Amino acid sequence: MITVKGFSYWYPGEEEPALEKIDLTIPQGQFCGVVGANGAGKSTLCSALSGFVPHFFHGEFEGEVRIDKHMVAQTPLGELAGEVGLVFQNPFNQIGGARFTVREEIAFGLENLGLSKKEMETRIAEVLDLVGIEELADRSPFALSGGQQQRVALASILAMQPKVLVLDEPTAQLDPRSTEDVFSALRGLVQRAETTVVMVEHKLEWLADFVDRVIALDRGRIELDDSPTKVLSSPRMVKMGIGRTQYTETAAAAKRGKLKLRPKILPVTLDQARTFFR
Amino acid sequence: MQRSTLFIQGDRGLYRLHPLSKLAITGFLLVAAGTAPNLSLLLLGYLLLLLPLAVWSGLLHPFLKSSLLVITPFVISLAVIQGFFTPGQIILLQLGPFTFTLEGLLSGLTVAGRILLALGGTLLLMLSTRPDHLMLSLTQHGLPSSLAYIVLTSLQIFPRFQDRARVIMDAQQARGLEMRVNPLKRMRLLVPLMGPLILGSIVDVEERAMALEARAFSRSGPKSSLIVLRDSFPQRALRGLLLLGMLSLIAWRIWAVFSL
Amino acid sequence: MNGLRKEFTTFSIALMAVGIALNIGAGQIPRLVGLPLYLDSIGTVLVGVLVGPWAGAVTGFLANLVWTMTGLFPQAFAWAGVAAIIGVLAAVFGRAGWLQTFGRSALAGLITGIVAAVLSAPIAAYVFGGVTGSGTDVLVGVFRAAGLDMLGANMAQGVVSDPLDKMITFVLVWAVLLALPERFKARFGSAVSKRTTRSARRTSRRRR
Repeated sequence: MITVKGFSYWYPGEEEPALEKIDLTIPQGQFCGVVGANGAGKSTLCSALSGFVPHFFHGEFEGEVRIDKHMVAQTPLGELAGEVGLVFQNPFNQIGGARFTVREEIAFGLENLGLSKKEMETRIAEVLDLVGIEELADRSPFALSGGQQQRVALASILAMQPKVLVLDEPTAQLDPRSTEDVFSALRGLVQRAETTVVMVEHKLEWLADFVDRVIALDRGRIELDDSPTKVLSSPRMVKMGIGRTQYTETAAAAKRGKLKLRPKILPVTLDQARTFFR
Repeated sequence: MQRSTLFIQGDRGLYRLHPLSKLAITGFLLVAAGTAPNLSLLLLGYLLLLLPLAVWSGLLHPFLKSSLLVITPFVISLAVIQGFFTPGQIILLQLGPFTFTLEGLLSGLTVAGRILLALGGTLLLMLSTRPDHLMLSLTQHGLPSSLAYIVLTSLQIFPRFQDRARVIMDAQQARGLEMRVNPLKRMRLLVPLMGPLILGSIVDVEERAMALEARAFSRSGPKSSLIVLRDSFPQRALRGLLLLGMLSLIAWRIWAVFSL
Repeated sequence: MNGLRKEFTTFSIALMAVGIALNIGAGQIPRLVGLPLYLDSIGTVLVGVLVGPWAGAVTGFLANLVWTMTGLFPQAFAWAGVAAIIGVLAAVFGRAGWLQTFGRSALAGLITGIVAAVLSAPIAAYVFGGVTGSGTDVLVGVFRAAGLDMLGANMAQGVVSDPLDKMITFVLVWAVLLALPERFKARFGSAVSKRTTRSARRTSRRRR
């Protein structure tokens, strides 16, 4: 479980806080989406949950972030890495293990955790299956496409069996096909509902289908925190510069055009849109 | 791995040896190359030690090819420079005030022989050993894992920098950047050509470091290994013998110098 | 030894790997532009300046080992020690603040180049019989013909080519430091500009 209480953070040398008085409780197993305009603090939130703020970026902070029994600010990154996993945008920079095959790349984190060879092999097989990359197991990670590398990065983090998985725009640099592959891989994880997942995503259509809850950030503060339908259809999304899904926009335009449509809440997914327009 | 290192896949001969054994062989050859007293012994070393090892491992062709590539410029430079400028009696060629002597030629070829044996040993090691296996064997014997990481990662990412270099070059040429200007202007061009590449790579380092942290890189405590390197008592004995051999050769050479 | 530990953070370790890749991958760019230079210590100097002497030394040393492993220049490992010293010198000049102006950067490069040439010459002379196996051997031959002995000819050849490429390297690092985004400057110590930004001054007034 993630508990954030009154958390504010300033990057070194900055006068304005990147995050301001964040209060958040995310129960174990929840899949939480995070949206916001550029500079709203989404990446900083990801860093705060995974300990990079303050351990890696330094700077100043107030309040507390707690993951289960760990106070993030007091736990060194080396220890936190086993509890919280972080996947971010650039696939190439995350192939970090200096290993020559995907299998060994996945093992890199496990070796740092000191696991036995047998345990590592079990976890690697599991994660290759979960993420759907068995056919890549013996290939060089550097010879893969961006989408494939991103899935390897995801697999490498999942193999460490973190209680919390944080994803910072994992598909931002990927083409539509690769985006689909990554989301498919996440679907398997979602079905298990063992890991708490926090995902920052701009592709709102994709997000709406996956998450239990959406948090909208604006200028370092949480402005909206509710179910995907309520948040993503809210007109405040437009005001905050985030935008809405194409289904929502179409429905909103239809409503403005005085079409006779009954439901008050605008659709955010394809299925909801179908119902809405009936 | 294919693009960035000498390593060629294989499973015979040297491939079955523990990396440290191969390192010991290379070390011994380096010392032998430095201490052998004449050209004949050096050539014998190449023919009777290096070539059979290459054949045993199925590497004869790549080994000969890379040996030739490495040694040819040395042979040429050494033969010419030492042939002309090392003092000697037996004149083979006279070019104006410069004499090309047999002693000079032999002296140059002897140095070439040393280089052949030394670099030959190095090449054989690189051809038959996976860099990550080599690094693993060293970390298991005390090398800090951060150093192993640096070596292996740089090996994997430098081709990308070579590619980026080409892309920058092509982009600049497309923008009509005149390449045939005088050298001074070309030197000033280096800043806009290389500056962004370097700057971008520093920014990337931050993400790379974050990815490392996310894999518990800075965790204190023992690390394990998925790869298991096969070792054996005969190999350990061989390494001990080779080490002894190296020390003996060095001691003999020092003694030989002092007793003159 | 505490300085050693401080220099080996996860960030600087990643930087060292990238530094070596720069040496090998980007060092050839001048050649692509038609200049007879290799900026093969650009990464070493960068790491030395940004992190410190131990990091610079390790980068230089390992860079030459890695270069040998690539097969592009198998004799590179013979100069690993010299490369380490270049890294140390870069750190020394960095900490002395020389990398903050163009003029002193160029001078730092000149001095480093001369030191590198003087240290490399004995290796070429006594290990490799007075040659390096590359195109500069023509120059060595010319110097021998002029009457210099083996060591002298190698030193003369080094002094002609090394300082220039080191000068360009140091100036390039100066330019990169100028353009370095503000948030990175906090990571690197006294080598980068000591000018604090307006917002940094405001921060110290804002809180407490």
